[in-house]
Amino acid sequence: MPFDPVAYAIPVFVALIVGELLWVRASGQRQRYEWRDTGISLAFGLGSTVIGAITGGLTAGMLVWIHQQSPLSIGWAWWAWPLCFVLDDLAYYWFHRTAHRVRWFWASHVNHHSSQHYNLSTALRQSWTGFIALGFVFRWPLAAVGFEPGMILVCAGFNLIYQFWIHTEVVDRMPRWFEAVMNTPSHHRVHHAVNARYLDRNYAGTFIVWDKLFGTFTPEDNEDRIHYGIVRQLGSFNLLHAVFHEWIGIARDVWQAPWRHKFSYMWREPGWSHDGSRETSDMIRERWSRRENPEG
Amino acid sequence: MDSELLLLGGSLVAVLLLVGMTWLLGFRQQARLDSPAEAAELVRLAPGGFEPVEVAMDLEGKAAIARDRDGRLLVLVPHGNRFVARPLPADCSPAYKDGKLQVSCEGHPVTLDLGAAAGDWTAADSAVN
Repeated sequence: MPFDPVAYAIPVFVALIVGELLWVRASGQRQRYEWRDTGISLAFGLGSTVIGAITGGLTAGMLVWIHQQSPLSIGWAWWAWPLCFVLDDLAYYWFHRTAHRVRWFWASHVNHHSSQHYNLSTALRQSWTGFIALGFVFRWPLAAVGFEPGMILVCAGFNLIYQFWIHTEVVDRMPRWFEAVMNTPSHHRVHHAVNARYLDRNYAGTFIVWDKLFGTFTPEDNEDRIHYGIVRQLGSFNLLHAVFHEWIGIARDVWQAPWRHKFSYMWREPGWSHDGSRETSDMIRERWSRRENPEG
Repeated sequence: MDSELLLLGGSLVAVLLLVGMTWLLGFRQQARLDSPAEAAELVRLAPGGFEPVEVAMDLEGKAAIARDRDGRLLVLVPHGNRFVARPLPADCSPAYKDGKLQVSCEGHPVTLDLGAAAGDWTAADSAVN
């Protein structure tokens, strides 16, 4: 890894969290942070950098191998950088959508959503098990079409850095043109909400246009107070429980399920069950919709 | 390797400082419900859906209990300065003790001071309703 922009951004992340803490304290909004929740989020972030350092070589090695097999090679041309960034963001959109719609990927990504708070420390609540979940495969097509592995990883780093600042309630709305094109705090608050109308919406990393293009965009409605977290809130400040609870849930379900349904508990959407005893996000939204519009 | 260890050590120090700062700035308040309407809103977010026909809030807003039309019960349990909704299993009955309602099942023990209404939420009352 020649250059890791995220490592250089860490001091900025810390400074911005300090700034947000002071801002919300001064404005009397003491519910926006909780010290144990912040501790869990930051421990997630620290742990993910350690695991990233261990698995990063393998992830990069696989990209290099795929790039070497490809008959295409774009090289380090200047124009390749913005193109790579945009296509990497498209890859991120599909990774992120899959991470919410396939339980195997969700088991890892749920870590990022398990806080009931939405502040800058939540941004650092990064998974420890992303490598096991195989989320890195979504960047393989970029190497296959000829982008340099180093370029892909640097663009991915900048994408992650961009997503840091949108995890806040301090910023209401950005200018209209910006909200139209870019992912913003408002769009991403929707993504972290557990309100039925907002479940599984706004998967964007940097550019919100992907959600508008693929039909997953929902704007924030100021009349609908947002509640953050996951459908079944953890209710625990145990870090290890927070990291592994969904993996343990998968193992338990696969163990207990009839043979023909075992695999479904890994690849179907979160909340799916073979006997219909649980709810997926689509089912929750449908139930909510029936309640809101009983006439039909 | 040295730079990675330095980064790790620096990050660890930063984590500890930030958590300490969060504590010192007072972000350690208990969760508090403002109104039964707020409790009802949170109850409706429960996994599996829960449409309350009756909601009783702790007198200090520290917790709440709700009942749906099928007689199922759900408690709102404080977690930090937020609440989590926990539907109670059918075999879990709140107990009335010392003028308060105690729910000790489902892994989240909670005591609700409902005043005179506490007795309305015990097993016998649920069975009648």
